Amino acid sequence: MAKTSYLGEFEYAVMLAVTHLGDEAYGVPIRELIEERTGRPVARGALYTALERLETKGCLRSRMGDPTPERGGRARRYFSVTPAGLRAVKATHAALASLSKGLEAILERP
Amino acid sequence: MTSPLPAPPAAAERLLRLTIRDAEWRDAVTGDLREEFVHLVRRLGPGAARQWYWRQAIGLGIRFTAARVVPRSAPRRWQVRDADMEPRRAWLPARDVLYAWRAIAHRPGLSATIVGTLALALAANATVFNLVDALYLRPLRFPGVERVVIVSSAPNNAPGAQHNSVAPADFRDWQHESTTLSDLAAATFWDPNMSGVDEPEQLPGFLVSPGFFRVLAAEPLLGRTFLDAEAIPGQDRRVVLSHGLWTRRFGSDPAVVGRTIRFDGEPYEVIGVMPSGIAIPFGAEAWAPLAYPEERWTDRSRGGLMVIGRLADGQTIGTAHAELAAIVERQQREYPETNARRSLTVVSLTRGLADGFAAPILAIWQAAAILLLVIACANIANLLLARGAERQQEFAVRMALGAGRLGLIRQLLFEGAVLAGMAMLVTVPLAAAGMEATRRGMPTTIYRWVPGLDFIRLDYTVLGITLALGALATLVFSCLPAFQATRANAAHALRDGGRTMAGASRTWIGKTLVVGQVALAVCLVAGAGLVIGGVDRAVNGVMGFERRNVMTAELRLDGRAYAEPEQRRQFVSQVFERLRGMPAVDTLAAASSLPYTPAGSDRIYPEGVALSDAEVRSARVQRVTPAYFDALRIPLLEGRVFTDADHPDAPLVAVVGRGFAERYWPGRSAIGRRIRTTADGPWLEVVGVVGDVVQDLLLDRGTPTMYRAAAQAPALPTAFIVRTAGDPRNVRGELRRAIAAVDPELPVLHLRTMEDVIAERAGGITHLARVLGAMSAIALLLALLGIYSLMAYLSSRRTQEFGVRMALGATRGSLRRLSLGHAAFVTGMGLAVGAVLAAALNRVMSSALFGLVSIDLPSIAMMTAGIGATALAAGWLPARRAASMDPTEVLRME
Repeated sequence: MAKTSYLGEFEYAVMLAVTHLGDEAYGVPIRELIEERTGRPVARGALYTALERLETKGCLRSRMGDPTPERGGRARRYFSVTPAGLRAVKATHAALASLSKGLEAILERP
Repeated sequence: MTSPLPAPPAAAERLLRLTIRDAEWRDAVTGDLREEFVHLVRRLGPGAARQWYWRQAIGLGIRFTAARVVPRSAPRRWQVRDADMEPRRAWLPARDVLYAWRAIAHRPGLSATIVGTLALALAANATVFNLVDALYLRPLRFPGVERVVIVSSAPNNAPGAQHNSVAPADFRDWQHESTTLSDLAAATFWDPNMSGVDEPEQLPGFLVSPGFFRVLAAEPLLGRTFLDAEAIPGQDRRVVLSHGLWTRRFGSDPAVVGRTIRFDGEPYEVIGVMPSGIAIPFGAEAWAPLAYPEERWTDRSRGGLMVIGRLADGQTIGTAHAELAAIVERQQREYPETNARRSLTVVSLTRGLADGFAAPILAIWQAAAILLLVIACANIANLLLARGAERQQEFAVRMALGAGRLGLIRQLLFEGAVLAGMAMLVTVPLAAAGMEATRRGMPTTIYRWVPGLDFIRLDYTVLGITLALGALATLVFSCLPAFQATRANAAHALRDGGRTMAGASRTWIGKTLVVGQVALAVCLVAGAGLVIGGVDRAVNGVMGFERRNVMTAELRLDGRAYAEPEQRRQFVSQVFERLRGMPAVDTLAAASSLPYTPAGSDRIYPEGVALSDAEVRSARVQRVTPAYFDALRIPLLEGRVFTDADHPDAPLVAVVGRGFAERYWPGRSAIGRRIRTTADGPWLEVVGVVGDVVQDLLLDRGTPTMYRAAAQAPALPTAFIVRTAGDPRNVRGELRRAIAAVDPELPVLHLRTMEDVIAERAGGITHLARVLGAMSAIALLLALLGIYSLMAYLSSRRTQEFGVRMALGATRGSLRRLSLGHAAFVTGMGLAVGAVLAAALNRVMSSALFGLVSIDLPSIAMMTAGIGATALAAGWLPARRAASMDPTEVLRME
C-alpha cells in the first residue's frame, strides 16, 4: 500500500487491541479487551468482519494456530499488526490528536 | 476435566458452516464460539449457553451472508478516498436494500405495523381477485374456450335470460344455415338416477347432440364420443362419463369403458370418459345422446334446448350474431304463430354459464378490498410522514454532507420497496389461508351452478396481481413522504433540532389522509352493515311460514317406473303409510318443491284478465298435498285449503297466495275465479287464499304463488315435509327408511331440516356478509390506528409548546381539550365525508343486490356515531399523555 489509510473508529479500536495483545491476539481476547476498556458491547459479527476487512486492507496479517480440544478441534486465528497497519494507526491517532489540540480544557474536564 | 466437554447445538454449528464459506475463518469463528461456550456452560448452565450459541450463530450467519452479498468499504467518514486507487463502484441495488433494511430494523414496531397492515390489505385483494378470476373471468379453462358461444332465442316476455329455450326445429335451421359457426350442438337437462352401483345417486347429466364434444373441441380421455347413428331412439343407450364421476364412483378404472350402468332403470353402455375440466354445462357428470323422435325435430312451439356453437375461423361473436339474427328474423316471418316474439342472444360460453348473481357480489367484494388497500396505503403514508419528520435531522445532515435529493428519495423508495417486499412474503400464506376459507365457506349446494370453484387457489395470476398491487402501493405510500421529507431546508432543520418542522403543510397532509381513512372506513362499515342486516332479515326474518321442527326429504320420481301420474301418487301415499302414526310425526305433507329451493315458474292465464305481452304472466306453481299448509303453518285467509276430496276425477281446484290474488283481482275476492296454465288447457277454480310465503332469498313477499292439489297433478320432483313433535333430526332415519322401503333404487337428493334448507340457500350470501364484515372490521381498525398515530405524532411535536403553556399556567384539562379538539375535528370531517359517501354507496348497493338491502338511515347514523366515539377514544390517549407530562421535564427535554 503506497498510500496510508485512515481508520474507522471501530477499526482503530480493533487495531489498538491487537497491538496490546501481541502474540495472544485472536477473536476471544480481542473482543474482551475492547469491551473491557471501552465499556461498550462488541458484536462478534462486527468484530470478525472488521478483522477480515483490516486484513484485506493490509493492516493486519494472520496465522492459524494449533487445534485444541477446548475448541472442538479447531485452530485459533492469531492476528498481528503489519507495518502498513501500524502506519494507519499512527496516522489516525495523529489526525485525531491534531484535531483535539486546543480542546484539552474541554476534553479532559471530568 | 473428567466429564466430556459440552457440545454446542449441532444445527447451529451447521448453520455457521453453511454461512461462513472460508474454511480458515470458519474454524477461527466456530472455535472462538466453542471456547466461550464452554465458559458459559460453567457459568450459566447448558440451557442458557445453548440459547446464547444460537443467538450468536444466527447473528454471525446473517453478518457473513450480508458481507458476501454486499461488498462493503470502510466507513466514509474516516477514509480518504483516492479516485485512482479505488475505482468508483457501480450503483449497487443490494447496498440500497441494505441501507433500507437498516432504517427499517431501527424501528421494529413501526415497521411491523406497516408490514402487517399492508399484508392484510394485499391478502384481502389477492383473495378477492382470485375469486373474481375463478368465478367470473375464467370459470372454464380448456383450450379454445373463447371460441365457444351460447346461442338462444327466447320469448320476449320470458322472465330472466334463459339459455335452454331453443325449439328443436329452430336449432335444426341454424345448424343447416349458419356459416359463421363451424359447428352447433344442443343439450338438454337429463339428471338421471344412477343405480346398479353401490349407492343410487342422482347425477347432474345432459342429453347432447352428437356434435357436442366437437363444439367444445374436447377429446375423450378414454374411449370415444357419440356417433351420429347413436342420436336415434333405440340406439341411444350410451353414456360418456365426466372425469369427476369416473374417479369418484369408479376408482379411475379404465375398464369402465364397455361396462353397463343403469340410469333411470335403463341399461347404458359406457363408451368414453372425458378429461377433467370438461363438466359442461352446469357441472355435468354424464352425457347421453339426445335422441328425439323425428317429429320432435320439427317442433317450434316448445323450447328446451340449450345451443352451443363454435365460431368458424375469422368469425367473431358479432358476425355470428348478425348472421343468426337474419335467420331468426326469417323464422319470425315464416312461422309467426310460434316464432313471432322470439329474439336472439349470442354470448360467450363463459358469460352464458356464469352465475348471474356472482357478478354484483364479486364486484362488491373487489370494491371493498380495494377500499381496504387504499385505507392501508393512507395509513402507511401517514406513519411514514411522521417518521419522516423524525428523521428530518438525519436527512438534513446527509444533504449538508452532499447527498443529493434524488439519492435520498431513492433511498426512501427503497425503504418502501423493502417494506412492501416483506409484506408480500407475509401475504402469500395469508392469501392462501383466505382462499381456503372461502372455498370451505361455499355451500356445496351451489357447487353445480358456479363453475370455477375448483380454481379458487393460489396461482401465478394471484401472485402476479399481488406483486403488481404491492409495487403500486409502495409508490403510493412512499412517494409522498419521500418528497415531503427531502423538501426541508437543511439549514433550518439543523438549527432547530427538528423541533419546529411540524410545518403546516405536513400536518395538513396527515390530517387529510386521516379524514380520508375515516370516511372510507365509514363507507365500508355502512356497506357491510347493510348487507349483514339484509342477510339477517332474509335468513331470520318473517317468512310467512314456520321453519322450526320440520324435516324434509327431496327426491325426483323419474324414469319409467314413475312415468304415469298414478305411479307417482302411489309412491307418495305408500311413504305416508309407513310414517303415519309414528309418535314423533305431527303432520305429513308432500310438495313439488320446498320454499327456498329453486323452482321453475309456470305461465298462467287468469280468466277475464287481459295481460299485455310485456307483463310477466308467470307464477311459481307448487303442487301440494292437503296437509302442506298445516305442516308449514301457512295461514288460510279465505275459502278453504285442499282436502282428500280433491282427487283426480273431482273438479280441478287451486289455492293462491295473497299476492297472487291482489295482483290479478285487486279489491275483489279471488274465490270462485278461474285460472289455467296453458292457453287452451282446462280451467282451475280458486277455492282458497293463503298467506304469502317468502319463496326464495331476495324475492319479495309478493312473489305470485299458485298451489295445485298434488292428487290432481302429481309432480316429478317431490319433497316430503314432516312436522315433528320434537327435534326434527330424530325422524331423519325413519324418513330415509320409509322411502327406501318403498323404492330402494331411488336416491334421496337431500335429507335436511327446513332450517338447513334456508341456511344452505343463504350460504353464499351469508358468506358474502361475513367476508364484508371482516373486511370492514379491518378497515375500521386501520382507520383508528391512523387517528391514533396522527394524534400521537401531533402531540409529540407539541410537547415543548405544552410545556411552555403549562409553565404559563394552562391546566392539564385545558391542554387535553386543546389536543382532543384536533382529534374531534379530524374525526368529524371524516365522518361527514363518510356519511355522504355511504349514502351514495347505499343507493348503488340497493340496486346491485336486488332489494336485499334497503336504505337504512338510522343504522347508518348509529354506525357513524359509534365510529366517531371510538375515534375520539383513539385520539384521547395521546392527548392525555401529552397533558400529563411534567412541564419542567418537558422544557428541559431536547
